[in-house]
Amino acid sequence: MDGPLAGVKVFDLTVAGVGPWASKLLGEMGAEVIHVDAPSIGFTNALPTVRGMSLLMIICNYNKRGIFLDLKARRDRLVAYRLLESCDVFLANMRPGAVDRLGLSYDEVSKINPRIVYCLASGFGERGPMAPVPGAAPQISAFSGWSSTTGERGKPGEFFRHSAHLDFNTSAYIVEGILQGLLHRERTGIGQKIEVDMTSAAISLQTSRFAEFFATGKTPPSMGSTVTTTVPHQAFLCQDKQYIMVGVVEDDQWLRFCKAIGNEELAKDPRFASNPLRVQNRELLIPILDHVFVAKPIRWWEIRLTEAQVPNGRIRGFEELRWHPQIVENEHMVKMTTPRWGTLYVDGMPWRFSGTPGSMRPGFVPGEHTEEVLRELGMVSEG
Amino acid sequence: MSGALSGFKVVDITRGLCGPYCSMQLGDAGAEIIKVEPLQGDSARLMGPPFIGDESAVYLALNRNKKSVVLDIYKKEGGDILIKLIKNADVFIEDLGPGQPEKLDIGYDQLKPINPKLIYCAISAFGEKGPMANQPGSELVVQAMADYTNSLGAIGAPPVRLGTDVANTNTAVFAFQAIVAALFHRERTGQGQRVSTSMLGSLMHMRGVLWGAQSDPVDSWGDGHHQDNYIMPPEYTYKTKDGHVFLSFGQHDSSDPDAYQKLLAELGLTEMLEKDPRFKVARQVLGTVSRYAWEVKGIWEEKFKNMLTQEVINLFEKYGGLAMPVSNYEMVASHPQVQLLQMIREMDHPKLGKIKQTGIPWRLYGSPAEFQSPPPALGEHTQEVLSKLELSEEDIQHLREIKVTL
Repeated sequence: MDGPLAGVKVFDLTVAGVGPWASKLLGEMGAEVIHVDAPSIGFTNALPTVRGMSLLMIICNYNKRGIFLDLKARRDRLVAYRLLESCDVFLANMRPGAVDRLGLSYDEVSKINPRIVYCLASGFGERGPMAPVPGAAPQISAFSGWSSTTGERGKPGEFFRHSAHLDFNTSAYIVEGILQGLLHRERTGIGQKIEVDMTSAAISLQTSRFAEFFATGKTPPSMGSTVTTTVPHQAFLCQDKQYIMVGVVEDDQWLRFCKAIGNEELAKDPRFASNPLRVQNRELLIPILDHVFVAKPIRWWEIRLTEAQVPNGRIRGFEELRWHPQIVENEHMVKMTTPRWGTLYVDGMPWRFSGTPGSMRPGFVPGEHTEEVLRELGMVSEG
Repeated sequence: MSGALSGFKVVDITRGLCGPYCSMQLGDAGAEIIKVEPLQGDSARLMGPPFIGDESAVYLALNRNKKSVVLDIYKKEGGDILIKLIKNADVFIEDLGPGQPEKLDIGYDQLKPINPKLIYCAISAFGEKGPMANQPGSELVVQAMADYTNSLGAIGAPPVRLGTDVANTNTAVFAFQAIVAALFHRERTGQGQRVSTSMLGSLMHMRGVLWGAQSDPVDSWGDGHHQDNYIMPPEYTYKTKDGHVFLSFGQHDSSDPDAYQKLLAELGLTEMLEKDPRFKVARQVLGTVSRYAWEVKGIWEEKFKNMLTQEVINLFEKYGGLAMPVSNYEMVASHPQVQLLQMIREMDHPKLGKIKQTGIPWRLYGSPAEFQSPPPALGEHTQEVLSKLELSEEDIQHLREIKVTL
């Protein structure tokens, strides 16, 4: 069945990860997405690859059609303008100023289509001293403070070795922006220009940690598996050398936690009676708990804590997750059979809609739909 | 009010880090947010130290734009008032867990008849189906289950989590998307619906590239690219005399084909280039995603240990490379680009004077998002909101006596 954006048409002039993942989400919500690549596209074999094609391209291209346009050539630019007449959304993530040089500034595009919801994404914003700096996830990691709160206690901030998180995080904020643009237009008839950047998205993502900086003037330190504001919320070593993750994150969980670990006295201890007290007295409490957990294997604690409705879990990886019933039944990871690259495990949709479910379909090979789209526009390809 | 959601009303019973971030964003976008809290308040009010005055710093960061109404929704009178509030609302957000709202007569199927256009948003920890549907979650538990901690720390060492609360915040962003998309659909069709997100689902979604990369054993182990994610030692970037610096020197960064060699020459590392094959290709030795970065790091750092971060940056930029200081929050807040983006801002708070907030991450030229109001004290708007439901002063006093409100 259709998604909530059925009938919305997107002119998708995006590259790499940030832009294409955003338009992919729009496509999963049912929008018709036409992805525009330059014919000289060089990204098709960026690692990792699956059967010769860049995996990122495969995963970002769900639900989209792909056309080649050389926007530096007048002929192809006219195709773009014709296509834009019938589009609802324009999305690009080039370096600031680049779309202007292709004749696709907001001024140009809104002349052709005043109702367009026009969104530009960048690394550091469209203007200012850092606007020209290329914005890839590792740079944003360094710049936005993201790594400074992660790592072992006492060590300098550690970089997350899956830096794509900050790319796709930006994509998520882009989608928030575009959806507001579409809603506003539906209510008022008016389109608009929207800007989103990786730095703002990364800072906003860290709001709950910047909170502590706002109070203390200091960056919250990296603390391994634990965190400043909630205790206990960390990994504990068990007898069988595995780590169990435990989180007492709601007040009513503390009493149940103490019962589950066989130490109800702890629940009566005034030093630990509330979260703020536990935070203040963590250096007293944690050694007690370390001692408790190391006495039994991880399974013992999982059973007891789960029974007691206290958040707990263990570290899992791809090999377990792909079979795990919680993942499978909720389609958090899904199998997608592609016409050209075999069957892949891929990300599931991040939301469910009861009325307008949306869908995921394999995407295109670059340029695959150029002829088809030109025909739809009543234009003929040359040569 | 100028935002895209002006005129819409949201009833929010969520607590902690996730639902509240979502409703804060809905408020930035112009919606009226009625935050219904139990008598003891949102659990975030107890997250700390640090506190600012009486208020938890975390609570303050996540709850601007909202009106706080205290209701014990588990008591009949409280539940009835909640349903009245939802009847007049456009959006209802809950995080009670699958099956729990139904026990309070506030499940979607129960609310739909009294408000058919309602957008109902449910947030769960692990997803609404499956053996873990009714288990409570937490940031760390979800990060670990979603393979995130495997990209941090060292093999065999205690687990390391992301300091950022991604399981919570990314889920809140997806909830915002679902709600606004549903409102868009409703504008076109008049139809409401139920939307849902989960913390586990959000992180599993964000990590999609790694599932694809491991789908085929030959591809997985053939190029080894993403396996580095799992086996490399902790990546701290490059230590300088006064901090750490991120560096990269891609093949196309400079129009001078000898730029990289010149950089090495200036550092006295030309011999490395001649003798050590790992130095031959610039991209292989720098940046955080390079194959040999960690093997040769000590060689670079021997040169950087007597250089200030800014000196290293200047050197790399001279030859067309890219360099950036690894920033802490103090550096972020004082950086001119961040100030231009207005991502660290202040707002007035009636008791605390000026409080800091992270800014609004989208710039909408036609329907600008704005801060509406400071984070409310517990129950600050109970009176105001309940009198709009035509409860009298005596009614509200009675509710206080029977501990349905404060």
